[in-house]
Amino acid sequence: MEILAHDILIVGAGLAGLRATISAAETSNKIDIAVISKLHPIRSHSVCAQGGTAAVMNEKDSFDLHAYDTVKGADFLADQDVVEFFVRQAPKEIILLEHWGLPWSRTPEGKIDQRPFGGHSFPRACFAADMTGFYEMHTLYGKAITYENVKFYDEFFATSLIVENNAVAGLTAIDLKTGELVAFKAKAIVMATGGHERIYEFTTFSHPSTGDGMAMAYRAGAPLEDMEFVQFHPTGLVPSGVLITEGARGEGGYLINALGERFMQRYAPKMMELAPRDVVARAEQKEINEGRGFTGPYGPYIALDLTHLGEEKINERLPLIRDVAKRLGGVDPVKEPIPVRPAAHYSMGGIKANIRTETPIRGLYAAGECACYSLHGANRLGTNSTAECLVFGGVAGEEAAKYAMSTNFQEFSKERVIAEEKRIYDGILGREGDERVPQLREEMRKIMDKKVGIFRVENELKSALKEIRDIKERFRNIRVEDKSKTFNTGLTTALELDFMLDLAEVTIISALARTESRGAHSRLDYPERDDKNWLVHTLAYYTVDGPKLDYIPVTITKWQPAARKY
Amino acid sequence: MNGDVVKTIEFRIRRYDPDTKKSYISTFKVPIRRGTTVLDVLNYIKENLDEKLTFRRSCRMGICGSCAVNVNGKPMLACYTQVLDLNADIITIEPLSNLPVIKDLVVDIQPFFQKFRKIRNVLIKPPESFKVQGEFIQSPEDLKKYWDLTLCTKCSICYSACPAAIDERYLGPSALSTNYRFIADSRDEGLEERLKPPADNIWLCTSCNSCTLFCPKLVNSSDAIVETRSLLVESGVVPKTVKDVLENVMRYHNPLGILQSKRMAWAEGLNVKTYPKVNRADVLFYVCCLTAFDVRHREIVRTMASIMDKLGVNYATLGIEEWCCGDHVLRMGEKGLFEMLAEHNIAVFQKFNANSIVTISPHCYNTFKNERPYKDLQLNVQHYTQFLAEAIEEGKIKPTKPYNKRVAYHDPCFLGKRNQVYDEPRRILQSIKGLELVEMRRNHESSFCCGGGGGRVWTEEAEPEKRPCIERVKEALELGVDVIAVACPLCIATLEDATKVLKAEDKIVVKDILEILKETL
Repeated sequence: MEILAHDILIVGAGLAGLRATISAAETSNKIDIAVISKLHPIRSHSVCAQGGTAAVMNEKDSFDLHAYDTVKGADFLADQDVVEFFVRQAPKEIILLEHWGLPWSRTPEGKIDQRPFGGHSFPRACFAADMTGFYEMHTLYGKAITYENVKFYDEFFATSLIVENNAVAGLTAIDLKTGELVAFKAKAIVMATGGHERIYEFTTFSHPSTGDGMAMAYRAGAPLEDMEFVQFHPTGLVPSGVLITEGARGEGGYLINALGERFMQRYAPKMMELAPRDVVARAEQKEINEGRGFTGPYGPYIALDLTHLGEEKINERLPLIRDVAKRLGGVDPVKEPIPVRPAAHYSMGGIKANIRTETPIRGLYAAGECACYSLHGANRLGTNSTAECLVFGGVAGEEAAKYAMSTNFQEFSKERVIAEEKRIYDGILGREGDERVPQLREEMRKIMDKKVGIFRVENELKSALKEIRDIKERFRNIRVEDKSKTFNTGLTTALELDFMLDLAEVTIISALARTESRGAHSRLDYPERDDKNWLVHTLAYYTVDGPKLDYIPVTITKWQPAARKY
Repeated sequence: MNGDVVKTIEFRIRRYDPDTKKSYISTFKVPIRRGTTVLDVLNYIKENLDEKLTFRRSCRMGICGSCAVNVNGKPMLACYTQVLDLNADIITIEPLSNLPVIKDLVVDIQPFFQKFRKIRNVLIKPPESFKVQGEFIQSPEDLKKYWDLTLCTKCSICYSACPAAIDERYLGPSALSTNYRFIADSRDEGLEERLKPPADNIWLCTSCNSCTLFCPKLVNSSDAIVETRSLLVESGVVPKTVKDVLENVMRYHNPLGILQSKRMAWAEGLNVKTYPKVNRADVLFYVCCLTAFDVRHREIVRTMASIMDKLGVNYATLGIEEWCCGDHVLRMGEKGLFEMLAEHNIAVFQKFNANSIVTISPHCYNTFKNERPYKDLQLNVQHYTQFLAEAIEEGKIKPTKPYNKRVAYHDPCFLGKRNQVYDEPRRILQSIKGLELVEMRRNHESSFCCGGGGGRVWTEEAEPEKRPCIERVKEALELGVDVIAVACPLCIATLEDATKVLKAEDKIVVKDILEILKETL
């Protein structure tokens, strides 16, 4: 068994992970940094971010305005100290990336251009056509590979965190090329592994977004916060679920029902299509549920109409969307509307972290979508997530570097690693049952879509919980067909499902307990927001008997909860 | 996904088992619906038919670059390719070329990504510039100048399709176009530094255009390479071999450095009319420098002349006033010299009254057809294979003697990939009795370049096994053919050399289509 040592391990190499890497490397060129990612960095899901990155760049805009939009979008569940810090940092990140070469779209004067986005009361989405995340990723990757003290472990699949005395000691990972389990020793670890939306069937997410880091931290003792809040994006392309950016509506696109109505008139007369995502997704689902959706071979849908924008604007501002709609949806948005419906898109919840990205486990940091410092509360605004990855990725890298410089390696026993080897190779790979992983995964995803979707109700959540727990039982009886070592994607698919089942369970239990409707969490049996009882964050702790819940208060600095109208 | 099944298609997937080191094919029948992508098919197989099938996947929307594979011989993104668009009932899926296979469709991408570590992937400016508070100003017009090159997803398709990349010194199309993307960025001030990484290897590019042809994001790496070479030429930092070619052209108006007065030596004993003695003809016969000067090519051009004589075609050449068309100097980045050549040739064209131009070389053909300033004249230009295919179809030429040989046709890049002329050369060969025409594994659009284009025929210095021509001849040898038929003087030069290096001259010969035709008339 091989044990490798690095001062800092960054797990995940999407936006937050790469930004953390750069930030750690900038903090000191003496510390030894390793990036562990199950994909090559630029294959990460962050490249799918399209519409933009929010930042106050215009003197007519203000930090308070951005902060209030975020807090109101969050249905007042965001921690306001975090929000205030975030909005002040975001513009610096835009400039940093510009200085590294990011090709931001420009105003005629040559300044960074900004477009309107849902829930933002000012056009503050900096964008690079409709491939913002893609460009941010390629820019960060280009920067990250310039540091000599950064080593990349591409295609290493992390399986568990090693924690001793409530402090991180290291982790285990499978080197996919050899199939061997490798142990890493580290003084600090930054989790930046993204969201878990692959627990749903209809999702905008890349195949590998299975929430591994959330599950590893949870199993190691860190609580998961606010996991009931899953954002559904209003415009997932039918039939694949691939994202059609909110920027399409930012540029003036309409949502139309089968009667030809711009139905948002009824739900958000002021902001219309640019209301926050929870509001628009609910409106769409209601239209569909009440029979006003279009009918197609892949089920009912809503039409996203861009035809009035004209070919020139679509080519300049939304070139990827046009290509994707043509290639994957079979429609040319210049000529006809795009078929869409709400798709699981973002996890507001994640590993509990504070404003410095510290988790309750010493030396463990979390940034980006896998983390929850409660920036987004109950509903995230579009373009705040890429900004979050940059801001808090930067914070995490610096904090982890400082911590690593002040501490020593924690020793851990070889038995710990041997036990993990046993769990993976004898346990999961060695099982000779008759359940198939793809089958179990599809069942899980269908249950989540059907019963833990946009609208939730107690009896459905309860039955979903029972069914997910049944699948967890059946998972003990799986058989992975591929028994080889090299690049065993059958094994990693099983490990991912194992992680996702834990996360699905936490999501459902958190949702079941929250008897109110707030942001993305809509309970048909509790339709109102209940600030008296539920202005609190959910914490879910791992126990052998399933998640144990606890609650902590929301930090309010300036803005008291108010009615949320758009 | 639901929707109606349109048809069931057979997929043949190239597998590789790293434990036994065995390569084999698995066949699967998969129901296809409207909208089903190649990645959907791979997922379907893994989830329902064979869980062991191994491939990479991530975004499924053409932006992450994970799932590039060869589909029916062409590299493409599995997630961005609709099965029904392939118009095939049997579809073969193989791993990308040029990269070592790890397992099934998974290749080792590290050699490709290592190249990006040799260039700077961030803006270069003096340190004090970065102290400014705000952004660097860049007009939308300046942004447009390099925007198209920023679309590269690093999927490695171009690298896998690139004949020059078999030499590991070569940075590859993607890293080179990324390097040029920064040069073209108005904010960047690192020109000198950026010209260093490509300086000693960019000359390996053969201008075959495969990188650009197969790029899922339409990134024109081919042009970015020419632009970079142009800056290298301007800065004077070029290898001696390159300098020599350019100097030859400058002095002698041909890359071989032979006096123009010898240009008509090939026509000895034939009664070929030349400018300026005649200044009108139906066909202007454009010979090409290599064909005109190198005795190896003499029979080819003489055959063409005699066929035209027999057909009663009123043709003439420009004689010693035929200067190099300039293709190679253009691809080598010497734009000024190209313009000088073009200016001369165009001036002569204007004094010479012809209905059409027929070229021996696909390179002259492409230059006249597609490159400014020739292009602006909208010349009526034909490659000789087009001219002959027409004549055969009209019954004016009848190959009568049998040619009992197994022949593989090698598509020249400047005829095929750049001008989609695939059928005419094959039609000529098919009209010959006894000739068994077979296709090499890589043919038509996915044909593997001989390695002679882009000036490389003059500057070749790679070790033998890293020359594209060697790989190509090996491919033909595996096929067991007697003859590699070509229709380009550069392909003859490179491939014939490869048969010698491989000591395979007794097993296989390289012949121009005209040489084969001559034996049958």
